[in-house]
Amino acid sequence: MAFPDFKQNYFELFSLPVQFAVDSALLGEHYRQLQQELHPDRYASAPAQQQRVAVQYSALVNQAYATLNKPLARALYLLELAGMSQEQISAEPVDGGFLIEQMELREKLESLHDLVDPDTVLDHLVTEISADIRAHQAEFATSYAAGDLDAAASACVKMQYLEKLLLEAEQIESELMDKV
Amino acid sequence: MALLQIAEPGQSPVPHQVKLAVGIDLGTTNSLVASVRGGRATVLPDEQGSAMLPSVVNYSQAEASRVGRAAQALAAEHPADTLVSVKRFMGRGRDDAAGDAARAYYHLADDDTGMVRFITSVGEISPVEASAEILKVLHRRAVDTLGNELDGAVITVPAYFDEAQRQATKDAATLAGLKVLRLLNEPTAAAVAYGLDSAEQGVIAVYDLGGGTFDISILRLHRGVFEVLATGGDTALGGDDFDAAIADWVLQQLAAPELAPGNYRQLQTRARSAKEQLSTNDSTSISLQGLLPEGGAIDLTRAEFESLIQPLVKQTLRACRRCLRDAELADTVDNVVMVGGSTRVPMVREAVGEFFQREPLLDIDPDQVVAVGAAIQADILVGNRPEGDLLLLDVIPLSLGLETMGGLVEKIIPRNTTIPVTRAQEFTTFKDGQTALAVHIVQGERELVSDSRSLARFELRGIPPMVAGAARILVTFQVDADGLLNVAAREETTGVESSVTVKPSFGLSDGEISGMLQASFSHAEEDKQARQRAEHRLEAQQLLEGLEAALAADGDELLSPDECAELHGLMQQLRLAMEGQDVSTLKAGTEQLGKASEDFAARRMDKSIRQALAGVSLDALDDEVSE
Repeated sequence: MAFPDFKQNYFELFSLPVQFAVDSALLGEHYRQLQQELHPDRYASAPAQQQRVAVQYSALVNQAYATLNKPLARALYLLELAGMSQEQISAEPVDGGFLIEQMELREKLESLHDLVDPDTVLDHLVTEISADIRAHQAEFATSYAAGDLDAAASACVKMQYLEKLLLEAEQIESELMDKV
Repeated sequence: MALLQIAEPGQSPVPHQVKLAVGIDLGTTNSLVASVRGGRATVLPDEQGSAMLPSVVNYSQAEASRVGRAAQALAAEHPADTLVSVKRFMGRGRDDAAGDAARAYYHLADDDTGMVRFITSVGEISPVEASAEILKVLHRRAVDTLGNELDGAVITVPAYFDEAQRQATKDAATLAGLKVLRLLNEPTAAAVAYGLDSAEQGVIAVYDLGGGTFDISILRLHRGVFEVLATGGDTALGGDDFDAAIADWVLQQLAAPELAPGNYRQLQTRARSAKEQLSTNDSTSISLQGLLPEGGAIDLTRAEFESLIQPLVKQTLRACRRCLRDAELADTVDNVVMVGGSTRVPMVREAVGEFFQREPLLDIDPDQVVAVGAAIQADILVGNRPEGDLLLLDVIPLSLGLETMGGLVEKIIPRNTTIPVTRAQEFTTFKDGQTALAVHIVQGERELVSDSRSLARFELRGIPPMVAGAARILVTFQVDADGLLNVAAREETTGVESSVTVKPSFGLSDGEISGMLQASFSHAEEDKQARQRAEHRLEAQQLLEGLEAALAADGDELLSPDECAELHGLMQQLRLAMEGQDVSTLKAGTEQLGKASEDFAARRMDKSIRQALAGVSLDALDDEVSE
């Protein structure tokens, strides 16, 4: 069999247009097709060296799929393809209002432990953060399509902040779970 | 890039030749082997017609270890020599496992590093070796039934097993002479067993509550591809805990004194059958015959039992909730599959059905479903299915990370990442001329290294001396389809490949494995002698320990200075004999000391009888109050 060309970018690998909006059904379809061919299970009885090669290719396809499947990772990847480095993206300024909002959300998260019914408040916070993330995804899509990479990068930075907050919320939730 | 020529997938070198492959469920309480024969996956029974092999290994008999029911029969008599639920100890360190070991009355070898080892009459036994004994029996059963040596086996592990536990399982299979095609997560195996029958699309939740482990996995089945979306669980929670809850309740009800190890084991066995009774009856009776001098029985209602296990069931549902969230499902779960004997408990079924809002599937025997699924996967991996109609995409259950400055964890591969996966991380030196770098790999979700599971430490050596921060060392972490980690490192600026020696924190090194393999091939006579030596040494040690305690308690009171000196002299001789290799000297020394201390033992017995007859004296009461 012939392996696909791994010099292609992730979008090309899955035969998808290079853009933020992704047809996730199609992405999943092509992902599964590739894994059907490449997965190490298909080489379980093959010599060890072929198995190792299969592991590498299969891992690459997994990486590509994980990147395109998650909006933030996909957005960062698009910027990378457009020639922006990690450092350039991180250096993108974020407006003060957003930062103040972040601090407020964080304070709410940190005071959860003292509440009588933290679960309800936590659920509410998670919903709020998730809605914010979606708003910035839309912001990214518009800026990227218009070729405004700086604004797109700025939206990415905001998503990064919020995703980190979401992760902390999950951490707190598992701590609350363990406490019961 | 040069591409390697690879044979067509699923094509075996000799067409139409069916290969022999099995699936093995190496369980905490029971183990099974299954195989696909004539297109159907079935479990392989033993000569007595029973498919389940109790995961029990007994080492009290010098000539050979016993496995299964034969070992179970010796459990009450030889609690420390009869290893049950060894799966709980796989890949765990001594500190980590000490609590479980005390509860099971095992003696652990004193050792600060490495995996736990049990002290038995035949010497120190690691959980890997004990598991290998179980696998050997199943291996033999499969060869006898299928008529030829196997081409490969799929061994199942709890999805939530960490790297060390997986490696330990693979090592055990290697020791048992099995060619491991793949380690397969138990819930995934169960989903395969169900999925092939229904061959539909949709989201499946697998709730797997076994004897000692709990797993929850959410999978999506899509035209022959099983994609594990998320997995979670607890490697130390299972039906054993239900039994222990009942046993502890009984002791509490009776306000009974501590039971002897063998008796506690027996109580647990009775607790287990009480639990099984309560799956169909509203109440049952637990006999205390032989456990308490006065005998009798105690009644347990289903309601009381349910209140005892309520916290444990709740704990499993919490893990379900987290797993559901990790799966990021857009819609609800279509099917719930129940796996493991503990899902026979009606309350568990009800709680799970209520949680997922779905009637759980029970068509396949929950004790056999994992082995059946593993057999199907083995059949595919070995190349018996020309179409290769099924593919499993599994995930890692726990995040992999690295220790960074200040004892913090930096996550490299987050949990629920699909495997195989490769991630690279760049390091640099922090001192001028630095030529080595220490890397500590941990597993778990916590932020502090001290709260995480230590997997491995290794050093990168041979870094060319450069100014601080100039070296660029790329460390690549690769988790293969078995969920096992491989590490490689390279200095980027010079292209120097650094040598990496991964020393598993709680596993066995390759050297230890090959040593054990060699030992098992070596002459039986040598084995026998070594076992005898170990047996006599243990006997001597037990005598010495008992005598030391007795002397400390009553020596001054019951013995003259001369008698005391004589005993101490003989004890010293025996200690020397223990260090030597001569079995006969050791045996003679033990006998001599045993004889010499007989008189002392008799006097102690007299004393305790006198005390018992005199009742509790005022002095003793005073002592108790002041204590």
